[in-house]
Amino acid sequence: MRTGILMVTLMVWGLLAWGVTDVREARAVERAEAEETARLLAKLIRAGRLVIDQNQAVIDDPHKGDKGFTPDVFEQQLIEEFRKETTIDLRTLAATPSSILIPPLAKELLPAFVLASKEVVRDAQVVINQRGIGYKNFIPATYGSQAARRFTSQSHVRLKQTTLQPRNPKNEPDEYEASVLKWLSGRPNAEAYVSELTDRGRTLRVVMPIYYVKDCLKCHGEPRGDLDISGYPKEGAREGDLAGAITVTVPLAR
Amino acid sequence: MGHDDRDSVLTVNRRDSGAGKVSAAPRWALLCVALAGLSLQGCGLVYDALQYVAPVATDELDAICRRQRVQIGMAVEPFRPFVFPAIWTDEGSRVTGLDVELVRHIVEALSQQCGRPVTPVLRLVRFRDLFLHLSEGKLDLFVSAVPSNVPVRAWSGFAYSIPYFQHGGLSGITRRPDVAERIRQRFQPPSEGSPGVTAGEQVLAGLTVAVQDGTASQHYAAANLKDSRMVLCDSLPAAFESAETSADSGIDVILGARPVLEYMVTRVKKDWQLLARADGKPFFLTRAQYAVVMSEESYRLRWFVNTVIFRLDESGQLERMRARWLDEPYAFPRRAAVEGLPFDVEKMVSHYSQGACRADRAR
Repeated sequence: MRTGILMVTLMVWGLLAWGVTDVREARAVERAEAEETARLLAKLIRAGRLVIDQNQAVIDDPHKGDKGFTPDVFEQQLIEEFRKETTIDLRTLAATPSSILIPPLAKELLPAFVLASKEVVRDAQVVINQRGIGYKNFIPATYGSQAARRFTSQSHVRLKQTTLQPRNPKNEPDEYEASVLKWLSGRPNAEAYVSELTDRGRTLRVVMPIYYVKDCLKCHGEPRGDLDISGYPKEGAREGDLAGAITVTVPLAR
Repeated sequence: MGHDDRDSVLTVNRRDSGAGKVSAAPRWALLCVALAGLSLQGCGLVYDALQYVAPVATDELDAICRRQRVQIGMAVEPFRPFVFPAIWTDEGSRVTGLDVELVRHIVEALSQQCGRPVTPVLRLVRFRDLFLHLSEGKLDLFVSAVPSNVPVRAWSGFAYSIPYFQHGGLSGITRRPDVAERIRQRFQPPSEGSPGVTAGEQVLAGLTVAVQDGTASQHYAAANLKDSRMVLCDSLPAAFESAETSADSGIDVILGARPVLEYMVTRVKKDWQLLARADGKPFFLTRAQYAVVMSEESYRLRWFVNTVIFRLDESGQLERMRARWLDEPYAFPRRAAVEGLPFDVEKMVSHYSQGACRADRAR
């Protein structure tokens, strides 16, 4: 009798332990997939910002009407920049087998972000193609804000650009983002990113820093307090300083 | 799809659904309606009769309230600081300026009047097309620093609100100091025994004058500057470009709205100067007040807009708006981001081009 009870107890414990291990493994996989997806999304928005930056002179050319910077042209350049950065070719993404490097969630969300970005470039055509007008405020930051907002409105994953001194109040960091940004600002410029579980493990937050490059300093550099072309006071930043971050918030299923 | 498109689709469907197959009963009914119509004197009576039996649209203000949208026209060509170029912001494409601020006040008052939110639908079209769009019923009103006192046939048949900007007028700018000096010398105020030379025609005689097609400056020049060569430009930026890059254009003076020209030479085109009289006072060809333009039959809307402007004036808001846009230092992209209005992208000319300038062959 006792032997029987002992065996049943052991079996129950065994099953429970197996189950817990299974759940833990599943959670670990889910987190890894979510983290990789978030990281890729952040890299994709960064690639989009870079494409806008590379085309800034064309966009702001007052002597040219139709700039030829169409949503399709933007898409091609975005895909190319992203491929250079990650070796992932978004053109063949659908046919690429899922793996930990290209999780199923990423296969779903990366094209969605490309689409949201294309919509932004499409809507901006009337502004971009004005002849006789130079600066149009279609810059990496305004593209990024719009693309992130559109993507977020159609997805369960939240994408955001934020900084400690936001020019747009809607980009104000939340408590978590502010704490990470403060932590990052005290550290040297690096390719690192921060990934943490919050909300008792129910949400994954990924924060990828953005650092000022030379082109940014026309509007964000010295002399601090002087108004830049868009009317905002310059931040007095230097090359390599922390500009802000792209943050990705992914709710986890379990 | 606009109203016109919808109407045309309906027409096609009706035609497709059986022309020439009207049954006997509807034929009698149609005949009765036709006879009844003939028995009434004039279309107005038919309309009144219909309104009496089934009042549909009471007036244009009710129509705006019912659709909760007001169709507002604005010039796509920039008239800084009244209308700035469309610009991209974190919220999408926006347009801003003194006229946009006025629109916000009108829309706010409309929302109060209607008891529910009214959304402005901004159509950015060529200045010269604004009158056409209004007469075709595509707009409820438009606002783009339009002077209310220009005696020209093309601008008649429309109604103008009370002025929201009192300090307008026509003036000129030049890039060439010798032209500025020549005008200063020509301008002779009247003195005892001499009538002086103050008329624009005499002061600008022999000079090449650029004006924007369809604006008050063009109409003024066509009517008054018989001894000047005229260059017609699609926009003010086109006039600047032509004068600065093309030596052939030979543009001596650009005529335009004084507040717009003043804004340009003090903030954007600092190598240009406003024309002045010998005594240093500003050189005006004429004075003007800017008003909101509406259809002549929009009686109730006109009363409404007049009241809004009157209240803004009475409270000092109009003066604050003027100072805010004309005197204060600011960058318009920031204001566009904070307070700009979205516009209907579908209703904006697809690739706005400032256009070009050409000699006025009609003269």
